[in-house]
Amino acid sequence: MADDNKNAEIPLPALPEGIVKALDLTLISQGAEALVFFSQSHPFIPTHEAITNSPGFSAGYILKYRPPKPYRHALLDAQLTKHRTLSEVRSLYKLMLAGVKVPVFVSVDPRQGIIWMENISGPSLKKWIWGNEEVIDSQTEDEAGRAKLREEKIKGTLLSVGSEISKLHFMDMVHGDLTTSNLVLRNKNEGEMEPVIIDFGLSSQSTLPEDKAVDLYVLERAFVSTHPMHAEEYIGWLLEGYVAGFGRGKKTGVFKVREIMKKLEAVRLRGRKRSMVG
Amino acid sequence: MPSKIQKLEPDRTTIAIGLEGSANKLGVGIIRHHPRPDKSSPKPPAEILANIRHTYITPPGEGFLPRDTAKHHRSFVVKLVRQALKQSGVSIADIDCVCFTQGPGMGAPLQSVAIAARTISLMWDKPLVGVNHCVGHIEMGREITGATNPVVLYVSGGNTQVIAYSHQRYRIFGETLDIAVGNCLDRFARTLHIPNDPSPGYNIEQLARKGKHYVELPYTVKGMDVSMSGILAYIDGVANDIFGGKPKYTDDGAEITREDLCFSLQETIFAMLVEITERAMAHVGSQQVLIVGGVGCNERLQQMMGMMARDRGGAVYATDERFCIDNGIMIAHAGLLAYETGYRTELEDSVCTQRFRTDEVFLAWRDD
Ligand SMILES: Nc1ncnc2c1ncn2[C@@H]1O[C@H](COP(=O)(O)OP(=O)(O)O)[C@@H](O)[C@H]1O
Ligand SMILES: [Mg+2]
Repeated sequence: MADDNKNAEIPLPALPEGIVKALDLTLISQGAEALVFFSQSHPFIPTHEAITNSPGFSAGYILKYRPPKPYRHALLDAQLTKHRTLSEVRSLYKLMLAGVKVPVFVSVDPRQGIIWMENISGPSLKKWIWGNEEVIDSQTEDEAGRAKLREEKIKGTLLSVGSEISKLHFMDMVHGDLTTSNLVLRNKNEGEMEPVIIDFGLSSQSTLPEDKAVDLYVLERAFVSTHPMHAEEYIGWLLEGYVAGFGRGKKTGVFKVREIMKKLEAVRLRGRKRSMVG
Repeated sequence: MPSKIQKLEPDRTTIAIGLEGSANKLGVGIIRHHPRPDKSSPKPPAEILANIRHTYITPPGEGFLPRDTAKHHRSFVVKLVRQALKQSGVSIADIDCVCFTQGPGMGAPLQSVAIAARTISLMWDKPLVGVNHCVGHIEMGREITGATNPVVLYVSGGNTQVIAYSHQRYRIFGETLDIAVGNCLDRFARTLHIPNDPSPGYNIEQLARKGKHYVELPYTVKGMDVSMSGILAYIDGVANDIFGGKPKYTDDGAEITREDLCFSLQETIFAMLVEITERAMAHVGSQQVLIVGGVGCNERLQQMMGMMARDRGGAVYATDERFCIDNGIMIAHAGLLAYETGYRTELEDSVCTQRFRTDEVFLAWRDD
């Protein structure tokens, strides 16, 4: 399970009683809008064996709960919860069918704002980068040496993150909230990390290159704000993987990615020029 | 162990005068910083010696134009500087530096105040310190509320940003993709012909309190960014229908009033702002929120933010209109922080810039 912002002391909005009683839930994260719980049990397959023996499910399950937000108007709240929950499961299902690495969807209750899915066992990309930077910085003082270590340790993973995102965009899906918290890394073998994309509440379908460019721009900005020291280098690797990913889709892919990268330039320029009147 | 910064700080009290005029408020403030009693203790609170403001108010239905605003600032700046000096009780000899807003903001008003700052700097023979307006808001908010390392929501007529500190800069996590929240409220106030006195946003807040029916509006959040122009266009359309003699009704058959529209506009855009702030808090793992900027005075926004922060086990920090609305004291304060680390703005570098991003400023006075 990913291990972000665990904080047991916070008084949490209550889950529906039946769910809490029936299952072994551990809160693992209070995300941007949801409470995320880990559970050993499947929501409706009763025997434990069935789960632990089924391939791919050995890591347990995640229950993602979007609690009512008391700060917003009840009408708006109900509407957003339902809409986001349904967008998320629609996208998870579509992407799983297409072979993009996302948690396998298990079950949904859109009114309550509850989704069950596969647990991805591994750190978020954010924590993983922070951890690596710490190790690298402790190994040598010399910047050239550090740069070499970064290339060795971090580049490969970011190439594959870019490639995974390209699959999403290739099928005209836009994530809507790409950050290094919404990418989880799964241990594949011997230190090789496989990226899994999560958190599809703001996702949508779009054929416009502009929307994909904005998706990338949001991610770029997340790198700049969260990993400021080497953001440019990281983004470079990520985009390298992204463009290469499209290349595999032959001609249409190459054309598509050219349009997206052109738009990305324009979106960046707009961002820099955005009038900021005091 | 004392940090590098504490070694840089002078061992005596320091005093700065600050001049602000990036939009329609002209502000002059005078602040005093006290030295740490010893190098390992925290900095004592700053002392506000004067904080005076004069606002250029336009008739209902009209916004403020750069030329007229600059003229307003020119006509009042000498008077305000004199008043501030008198109120503070300090003599010119006691002042260490002259701080002024170097951007971002409207060109002509910025320039007119910068000229005043350069003039007194030459006349009094004091160094100039150019200040980023947004950094001024953040530093003053931190000073007044005691929030140590919050996620900052900066909301004003010209800006909408979600900011967090990292590696000696205030980094922008999210922002508006088109117009600022204050601008959206001001423009809607013009559509409704709501007076601009004391401010359009304040008057919308008062009307919104009387609103009962929630009218559905577009809701546009993209990651940690928001977009407001679609909402404004939509609600302007509804308002024009209503006042053009085409009344609208809720699903329950109640006629929609302008109070309902103000209420719904606030509920929608503030929910968006709280949502992106929460997203940034989750991403950086912070539990404090600081709201700064003119829209930050809005009590409904503060209340909504408070409910969100409480659910995350944290708290919201906000200031009253003396500090959240543009003022001179925040410019004096942020300028003095920079001055104490040796920062100066030479006359030839004192040109104002309309675009001056928050993350361009290197924060020599922070190393946490
Ligand atoms: N399927 C999953 N497997 C492992 N960890 C997860 C999974 N889904 C969510 N998490 C963890 O919970 C956090 C919040 O979940 P997320 O879906 O991003 O919700 P939010 O919209 O609140 O950000 C993630 O950053 C991640 O650490
Ligand atoms: Mg998330």
